[in-house]
Amino acid sequence: MTEQPKTPPKPAGAPEPVEAPAAAIPRSVASLSLPAIRREDLGGNLIVIEGTDGSGRSTQMALLTEWLESQGFAVQTMGLRRSALIGRDIDALLARNVVTRYTLVLMYATDFYDQLETRIIPALRSGMVVLADRYFYTLIARAVVRGIDSEYAHQLYTMALRPDLTFFLNVRPEVAFAREFKKSPAISYWEAGRDMHLSDDLYESFIQYQGMIRKEFVHLAKRHSFVTYNGEGSVRAVNADLRRRIAEHLGIRSVRYQPSQALVHLWR
Amino acid sequence: MNPEPIVEPSAETKPAKARPRNYPGALVVVEGIDGSGKSTQLHLLKRWLEVGGYRTHFTEWNSSPLVATATKRGKKRRLLTPVTFSLIHAADFADRYERQILPLLRSGHLVLADRYVYTAYARDGARGCPSPWLRNLYRFATPPDIAFYFRAPLGIAIERILSGRPRLKFYEAGADLGLSLDRVESFRIFQGMILDRYDHLIEPENFVLMDGTLAVHKLQQQMREIVATRIDLKRFSTT
Repeated sequence: MTEQPKTPPKPAGAPEPVEAPAAAIPRSVASLSLPAIRREDLGGNLIVIEGTDGSGRSTQMALLTEWLESQGFAVQTMGLRRSALIGRDIDALLARNVVTRYTLVLMYATDFYDQLETRIIPALRSGMVVLADRYFYTLIARAVVRGIDSEYAHQLYTMALRPDLTFFLNVRPEVAFAREFKKSPAISYWEAGRDMHLSDDLYESFIQYQGMIRKEFVHLAKRHSFVTYNGEGSVRAVNADLRRRIAEHLGIRSVRYQPSQALVHLWR
Repeated sequence: MNPEPIVEPSAETKPAKARPRNYPGALVVVEGIDGSGKSTQLHLLKRWLEVGGYRTHFTEWNSSPLVATATKRGKKRRLLTPVTFSLIHAADFADRYERQILPLLRSGHLVLADRYVYTAYARDGARGCPSPWLRNLYRFATPPDIAFYFRAPLGIAIERILSGRPRLKFYEAGADLGLSLDRVESFRIFQGMILDRYDHLIEPENFVLMDGTLAVHKLQQQMREIVATRIDLKRFSTT
């Protein structure tokens, strides 16, 4: 769509145009919301961890948050379905399994932008480190494996802020499956991608679905310059790599870290 | 940091004009600002088609039950920004489109829609969402067979709304944009911005321009003639 021409056709008897051309949204209001906000106008740091289910993201998020706070950095986190606006509604819809693919893609986009505008942008403005447990890349991957055009999905997020660092924890679906089973007693409908009707065998369905998502991540990693780690390594080793890279980015000199009592169980 | 955009504007964001239709149904939509008379006219058209024995279905903007709670919450607590306002309405539309409009078109119905994607182009565009982004958002929606655009002068349209409504709602009045502290004045300015957006869509979207100042029955007569000429109604006959 090209920008619109300046003079509208005017039917006979049309009133004088009101003194408010389309572009004249008051600056004070427009500057508070997207798309007027640019990453470079904000401070802070936006660090994203991506990966399939069972790739160890949540574990690393918990450890990194503790480490960064112990280093004196204020941390704000984000993740999927955590918006005040629509997060719970998505949960309810997923449970009922009545939602169609574009609707779900657009509800997730609403959830994402709500968090971005109401929590993340203010956090960056006040100089915090934002740690995102998944970002819009996951949403693109999920849309694409469901047959939605990749450019359509990418363009939904043209107004979103680019992260300063994006880590991708790359894990084979077989390894992810074992980890997910440790977390909960049964594999969920969505983790197994059952809406895609890949197989009635849940293990097979999980492996195929997570494999497709992983393949999309590999594409995205190239396109958006992710830092890819082998997520099958030990929690300790992956965490050390992440700390090294983040320390470099934030100018932290020491990367030594020993988790507190509360988190030591993750340190295996 | 990675400041460059992730995608270049592509040909795919342009309006899809000649897309082949893979359904036997037909889609008629009405557009226009609040108070332009579009809903009244579509209602009368629906009556005519039903009485005539045609397979007809009516659908309206912002009515998906799946998305309704979130939309209501967002509006009531004023949580919505221009972007999330736009996205939540797109989700609402997508739900109706995927579960209602498209299946009906596929099964050979004549679908009548009170507002379609152009409402989002005009209204969300006036709120500051970039035009290419909005077009991409609704790219999955098929172009209608006829898009009637009811155009009434701003003063008349606003008079019609204000006379029948005790109080304008926050987002309806565009109060989120800080155009004016007076809600009626805000509504006036906002509707003017939307009208301007609609006017720019007339040509690129092949709107059928309808004069919203004409008498209701006269306008309806015109509308019926246009529908009968442009759509082969026999195909939808149930008798």
